[in-house]
Amino acid sequence: MECVHIDFIVCFWSSRNEKENWKVHFYSFAISVEGLSKIIINTGQDIFIEGCDEDNPYVAKVTRLYGDENGQQMKAVVQWFIRVSELPVNKLKLLGREPHPQEIFYYECRNCDNEVNVESILRPVKHLDSNDPFPDSADKDTLYVKLSWDSKVFRVVNSTVVESPAEPAPASSPPSSTPRGPSRRVLPTPDHAIMHKASLGEVGCSSVGTPANVEAESLHSATKLSASKCLSAKRRNATARTPGVRKRLELSSECLHKDFKMQPLCRTREQQGYIYISNTKSSEVENEKSPMVTETPRSSKRKSAMLVSSRIKKQLNLLENHQDPNSSGEEEDEFVPSKNDLLSSSEEEGQDEDGPNIDDQVSAKKFRYVATGSRNSRSKQKSYSSARTQRRTPAKKISPGTPQTPRHATPSIPIRSLQTQQPANILEEARARLHVSSVPESLPCREQEFQDIYSFVESKIVDNTGGCMYISGVPGTGKTATVHEVIRCLQHAADMDEIPSFHFIEINGMKMTDPHQAYVQILQKLTGQKATPDHAAVLLEKRFSNLAPRKETIVLLVDELDLLWTRKQNVMYNLFEWPARRHARLVVLTIANTMDLPERIMINRVASRLGLTRMSFQPYSFKQLQEIIMSRLNKLKAFEEDALQLVSRKVAALSGDARRCLDICRRATEICEHSAADPSSTGLVGMSHVMEALNEMFSSAYITAIRCASTQEQLFLRAVITEFRRLGLEEATFQQVFVQHQALCRIEGLKPIGVSEGLAVCQRLGACRLLLLEPSHLGVLQRIRLNVSQDDIFYALKAD
Amino acid sequence: VKLTIGFTQVQQILRERFCERRLPDRLEGVEAQYKHLLELLRRTAIHGESNSVLIVGPRGAGKTTLLQCVLRDLQKEEKVQKNLLQVHLNGLLQTDDRIALKEITRQLHLENVVGDKVFGSFAENLAFLLEALKKGNRSSSCPVLFVLDEFDLFAHHKNQTLLYNLFDVSQSAQAPIAVVGVTCRLDVLELLEKRVKSRFSHRQIHLLSSLNFTQYLERVWTQLSLPDSFPDKKFAQEWNAGVKTLCEDKSVEEVLQRHFNSSKDFRSLHMLLMLCLSRVSVAKPTIKPADLLEASRMCFADTTANMLHGLSILELCLVIAMKHLNDVYEGEPFNLQMVHNEFKKFLHRKSNSMYNFEQPVVMKAFEHLQQLELIRPVDGSSAKVQREYQLMRLTLDHSQIMEALQKYPQCPTDIKQWAMSAFG
Repeated sequence: MECVHIDFIVCFWSSRNEKENWKVHFYSFAISVEGLSKIIINTGQDIFIEGCDEDNPYVAKVTRLYGDENGQQMKAVVQWFIRVSELPVNKLKLLGREPHPQEIFYYECRNCDNEVNVESILRPVKHLDSNDPFPDSADKDTLYVKLSWDSKVFRVVNSTVVESPAEPAPASSPPSSTPRGPSRRVLPTPDHAIMHKASLGEVGCSSVGTPANVEAESLHSATKLSASKCLSAKRRNATARTPGVRKRLELSSECLHKDFKMQPLCRTREQQGYIYISNTKSSEVENEKSPMVTETPRSSKRKSAMLVSSRIKKQLNLLENHQDPNSSGEEEDEFVPSKNDLLSSSEEEGQDEDGPNIDDQVSAKKFRYVATGSRNSRSKQKSYSSARTQRRTPAKKISPGTPQTPRHATPSIPIRSLQTQQPANILEEARARLHVSSVPESLPCREQEFQDIYSFVESKIVDNTGGCMYISGVPGTGKTATVHEVIRCLQHAADMDEIPSFHFIEINGMKMTDPHQAYVQILQKLTGQKATPDHAAVLLEKRFSNLAPRKETIVLLVDELDLLWTRKQNVMYNLFEWPARRHARLVVLTIANTMDLPERIMINRVASRLGLTRMSFQPYSFKQLQEIIMSRLNKLKAFEEDALQLVSRKVAALSGDARRCLDICRRATEICEHSAADPSSTGLVGMSHVMEALNEMFSSAYITAIRCASTQEQLFLRAVITEFRRLGLEEATFQQVFVQHQALCRIEGLKPIGVSEGLAVCQRLGACRLLLLEPSHLGVLQRIRLNVSQDDIFYALKAD
Repeated sequence: VKLTIGFTQVQQILRERFCERRLPDRLEGVEAQYKHLLELLRRTAIHGESNSVLIVGPRGAGKTTLLQCVLRDLQKEEKVQKNLLQVHLNGLLQTDDRIALKEITRQLHLENVVGDKVFGSFAENLAFLLEALKKGNRSSSCPVLFVLDEFDLFAHHKNQTLLYNLFDVSQSAQAPIAVVGVTCRLDVLELLEKRVKSRFSHRQIHLLSSLNFTQYLERVWTQLSLPDSFPDKKFAQEWNAGVKTLCEDKSVEEVLQRHFNSSKDFRSLHMLLMLCLSRVSVAKPTIKPADLLEASRMCFADTTANMLHGLSILELCLVIAMKHLNDVYEGEPFNLQMVHNEFKKFLHRKSNSMYNFEQPVVMKAFEHLQQLELIRPVDGSSAKVQREYQLMRLTLDHSQIMEALQKYPQCPTDIKQWAMSAFG
């Protein structure tokens, strides 16, 4: 019975010391991993905690371990460290030097959860906080602490802080007591290296590791059979289980079984029983899912893919010299894959890309299928090194089929060789200020909306909760600008320590190729990871549903929401579902153009999750537009009063689009500049200039086009109208019109034209879209319609 | 020998001009537009001001020539030379955003370009390009000029992603870009989605030539005459004098008037002049009015009517029968049986069995007409119908049939009479 459950993680306490109002405190506990090791975690020890990035788990130090009375909730209170990769990219430059990939920072932020479930602990690790320079060795299991980070500045770490944890009572004893602890001694050790490591972890919790230890560690990491990886893999539903592990499991399962019987140390039977039950549950789920595996991974030994990948590899070798400072060494060595890896990963990729539209739960399952599938194809993977298969977590997708952007490529536009010229006169200055892109000091006329959004987001950040808001309004009414302004103010407030800090992410439905790319972009902006849409969805789902430690509130701006519509609407569903999760701390601001978008395109469960927090931006009135221009010009005297009023009235009457208003003003300054030679001009933009700009932008060119058309083209338009009148319809065939055209030619005293020429005339009018035509291969049978009103044609033709 | 060299040079210079291989030194009639565009692009290059503009005009109006001239003159300026990256796209080549993005990335030589290949998926490419543009700023990044030829076709791409992003960049504080769209559709703004439209600056440069016939004649004259820089001065003088006399000729003026009435664009004029030029040789050193008349006749030749000349008598008879059916039934569609009946009526009346053909032969002739697309099956008539009863329409105009009959070699008189008689 128990043998069956040995596959899964078992946590148990190895000792306890005191009972303190329904909390049970412990010194240490052990995690046993199927076939591999037993890891013992003590208070005061540094540990890895499972995060969203499998290759860079969170680092923390255990300050206290406790469980409640019946041991249902086993928690650990930790002091966090933050990795380089977890730091906001823009803050990295505060460091003033290249961060070491293995560098971690003592994390001094108050507003983070320092309680974690013990199930999420992976394995112990150790850090060195010497002030010496970083050693060159690529030892991945040694981390270095030099500075502390409080979400604003780096400080030199106070060594006493690190050495002595905040809770001295439980932490002081373990280093001395645990090595004597019975747990380690009685445990059979299937893997010497790991056992050794575990003991190292215990000893090295507060002291600097000796060189011998370091050596052992590096030796261990070289085998890449790290217990934590294995553990996290197990937790992720026993993904790639390699033949090697399997074998070892068979060998050791018996002793492990015995081992459980030998565990009367401190636990009562019931408590053990509980743990087993919880694991049985999960095992059932697992068993349920595994029969559904039907796909056999297809082997894609595409030659072209290999060719391309080898080419990339070559390129990368070239680029190796300019290394991206942000990418850690680990990533780099991952990126140049061996041929075998490429093959296997392409296999995975192929499976993953099968259906991009599947709904999330399915995709989550599928993700498991991939994993189990790869287990089924054990024979196929036998040729790959077992270490590799274990190491390869699904987060790393290297797809030779669709070669990725080389990771070293930094997106940038070349630097200009000559300096930009500064505006030389008032008009140029005005033009620069009136450009839509120039960021104004303040956003006038949107004070109320600003206030509403600000208080909404602020309250969510302060309360550590989540929520959705829907913002609508026609284009050019300042929706996105207002939200950005709000975020800027909030960021400022956060910098001033008035509110907790938060993370702002922006995505735009128009700036992605497919709605599912939203997941990829969110994940990338959140963690810097790259993933396929399905995998990104799984990771985000996990991130937002788990009680993840050290989480800042995330403010997510989703622009052009309507573009994220899919048939099943799962993207929208997820975006609105996550904020409602208890631990998500996610604020979603969505922007779209139509007020009734939720009612029109969303199915009920999506609309319901979006909630009723809505805001609508009205088109600007002429006074507001005028104020906007005035505030942009900022007392720069470039426009006459009347001219400004004319522009704003005209735009307000048409659309209320501020962009239009600014563009017209900008054009007017150009016209003014050109007419500056005129002695009557005052140097200010006047009514006439504005009128000209308005005409240019708003008048339709149809009438001018008809006037500028050739005689035959004009005659043809007249013939069309005559034929329409004769038929009483708004449509005629070319043949019918042509008869009229011939007649008109005779009336006008012109030589009648041939059919080919007539067709050419007709095609020319069709290309300008003065006429709407059927495809031209129909010849004389094609039907003709007018794209202009008949009155316009008459007006245009009569004038001359 | 000297004459031969002279003629080779003439041919070369004029052909380059007519094939629009060489940009004109100076644009005529579009000075205002030229200035507007030049100023706009110069501001992008020098001040780093983002802009977007559409050049709209009918086919052959010189939109691309205008743009090329502006770019050429802009490149001459010291300040602009190294400060402007150019990306040229064509809606006919970049038929979707995926291809367009690869092309942009390739032309910009961004860092994900290896040799001539662009790596990464569509989504990655888009993200990469946007990231690149976003990182730039007004004062330090090199301005990028995007030329979108056949702009209207880009508006048909899915979600107009590319246009949205380009216009969005041009309206935000990112790397300075200028988007120049070239299109012949006057209603192009209506094609843009409202968000895309709002981001477009609404600058349109219209190229609508309002030139009159005198100016047109002048254009013909300048197009034909040799430049002062021509090496053989004497030859050039003679040639130019010949061109002058040609343009003053009455019949030439008439022909040109007719062309002017038909279309004002220069591409069709160049076509005409090209035909004239190809008739010039050492033996025949000047363009004669007759050459122009001949060229004009070729330009205006009715291609479908010419096809009738190659038909057999039987096929011609069937076409005439169809014409009569069209007269009787006012353009209603017909089938082979009806046509054959009509034809038989004619034979019966003439009572000579000279053209009496078997049904299969007539059928074959009918099918041949269909292959030539002189007749076309009515839409929606399914293939289930027997071929004899399939409804057809004639794609010829009556005038074309009569014209063809006049020119048909050795057309029997009775057939001509039958064609001209009303109602069979």
